[in-house]
Amino acid sequence: MKIIANKWFWLAVFVLSWTVAGVAMFSDDTTAITEHGGPCPQRIVAMAPNLTEILFALGLEDNIVGVTEYSNHPPSARQKPVMGTFWQPNIEAVVAARPDLVVALGFNRQAGLAHRLARLNFNTLTVNIETIPQLLDAIEKIGTVTNKTAAARRLSERLRNNLDNISRRVAAGHRPKVLYIIQIEPLRVAGRQTFINELIELAGGENAIAPTINKYPPVGPEQVIASNPDVIIQPVMDVMEKADLTAGKQQLVEYFDRFQSIAAVSGNRIYVIDGDAVSRLGPRIDQAAETVARCLSPELFEEP
Amino acid sequence: MTKLLTPPTLLTRILLATVMLAAVMLACSLLGTEHISLKKALEPSHPGVVNPDYEIFFRVRGPRIILAAIVGAALACSGAVLQALLRNPLADPYILGISSGAGLGAIIAITIFSRLNWMLWGRSPIAFFAFVGALATAGLVWTVARLTGKSQVTHLLLAGVVVNAFFSAMIMFLTSIANSSQVQRTIFWLMGNIIEEDPLVLWTSGGFVLAGIFALFFISPQLNALSFSEVDAKAMGINTAATQTVAFVLAALITAVAVSLSGLVGFAGLIVPHGVRLVFGPDHRQLLPLSALIGAGFLVAADTLARIVVAPAQLPVGVVTALIGGPFFLVLLVRYSRRIDWLAK
Repeated sequence: MKIIANKWFWLAVFVLSWTVAGVAMFSDDTTAITEHGGPCPQRIVAMAPNLTEILFALGLEDNIVGVTEYSNHPPSARQKPVMGTFWQPNIEAVVAARPDLVVALGFNRQAGLAHRLARLNFNTLTVNIETIPQLLDAIEKIGTVTNKTAAARRLSERLRNNLDNISRRVAAGHRPKVLYIIQIEPLRVAGRQTFINELIELAGGENAIAPTINKYPPVGPEQVIASNPDVIIQPVMDVMEKADLTAGKQQLVEYFDRFQSIAAVSGNRIYVIDGDAVSRLGPRIDQAAETVARCLSPELFEEP
Repeated sequence: MTKLLTPPTLLTRILLATVMLAAVMLACSLLGTEHISLKKALEPSHPGVVNPDYEIFFRVRGPRIILAAIVGAALACSGAVLQALLRNPLADPYILGISSGAGLGAIIAITIFSRLNWMLWGRSPIAFFAFVGALATAGLVWTVARLTGKSQVTHLLLAGVVVNAFFSAMIMFLTSIANSSQVQRTIFWLMGNIIEEDPLVLWTSGGFVLAGIFALFFISPQLNALSFSEVDAKAMGINTAATQTVAFVLAALITAVAVSLSGLVGFAGLIVPHGVRLVFGPDHRQLLPLSALIGAGFLVAADTLARIVVAPAQLPVGVVTALIGGPFFLVLLVRYSRRIDWLAK
């Protein structure tokens, strides 16, 4: 009978019964993730800037009821309500927008988001966009779900054709080695497992950096000199006017001034481009490829 | 000399703190980027007719506030216990390596297992790995300290510091070879975050933390004796080794639960017990329950700020606890230390 008076015994009983009660009450509550099904969605939330661009490109502007921060293209996307950043969405705002479809990215940063939304009984469509072929697939998948199959097909066809044209145009030339700078100080470049690498190869170049473990590896001066790139490119973010590009170029040229042995430096082949389109796997990927191609072989793109 | 703590005083204070916590939770559940009315929130959605107020109140904001309360209570209570065990005012729930162990578990889950898209009971494996990492590290530190023999407290601290440093180095190594989205996710986790959780997760973790706090409350008389010195405690006929083990295991468990749910929310476990001790005195029978209740309220308020300050974006809650908790604690320290000294003279 001693045990009945023991507070530890009662604590153990409490923990056990509490857990059992919880399982009994809530275990059927875990709803399975429902991928989209049902009628054509009228109120769509896009959980990443490139998804917003795709929806706009499919002519769904009027159906978009929410976007994430930095959705700056096309300009009218800025008028849409913002539901947090794409890596930290504001779920309350999503609920308040009463969407009937939430489009999210399937990779790492948004893993779990689809699950959280599905638990709230939202229709979610998750697409993986990490390479150019995946982008084209995702466009068609989104088109199917939003009843814009024809527009989606046209868009992906157009992008595929434009990209093919660019790579045909540059096919004849030699393949310059390209160092694609993500940031200087500390120096970080685009590695081989990135869509930037795809862009470089489409545009007739070759990544100066050999395969690395990181997608965007930090590199030291030694590797920069050893890789001896023929062309150096850096995207500049938030370009408002031409002066931003000039300032960015000034900085980059000064930084590489000490590496005179590099072909790109001595040959004055350092380029700064508007980073908005080239940093995003979206419907402007053909423009991005052309921008890179112009840097690699400017002579092919000169107006007659 | 301050008055002795009588059961009625204790009970009144605990009740008052509970009422305050309930008030803070209710107030915070009505604050947010989306305005909701309590009246409308209480009408459930019907199939086909979704009531956003109800959905936000019960399925987004409510779970988040409950999670913040659970985490805050666990961290504050375990901080109070570790400060007593180690007889060190700088002790917090993370001092014995739990943070870096959980961090290492989390980053292993993020870099290795999320690549496989591996799920555990339909959830991301991060929480599970963080929990295992936290407990394994606590066990390691405890074993090392035991192996060194006597004067355990110093050795426990030293082992904790070294293990912390080593695991932090491993975290940095893994971060430096991870890709950028994984790095972002890791850093985000390390800063501490509260999101809405499944009812079942909230219920079970809440139950465990509550039971842990009660268990610690049961041994609070022994903790009182221990916080003076081991010799005194032994002289009073207390089995110090057993008390230390039980207290340590319980504190490690509730911290591990908190950390696996929210990442590394800093500061709450350090300043809340200190604040309670400065204002109400050091008796653990009072310190533990009041720390838990006030810690819960503190983290709920901090998370609410994290939700609304930079709206529509959100801050990691760890940023808010550090930014608010630090200065607030300094004020408390100056005010109450002076008053107590003045009274003592």
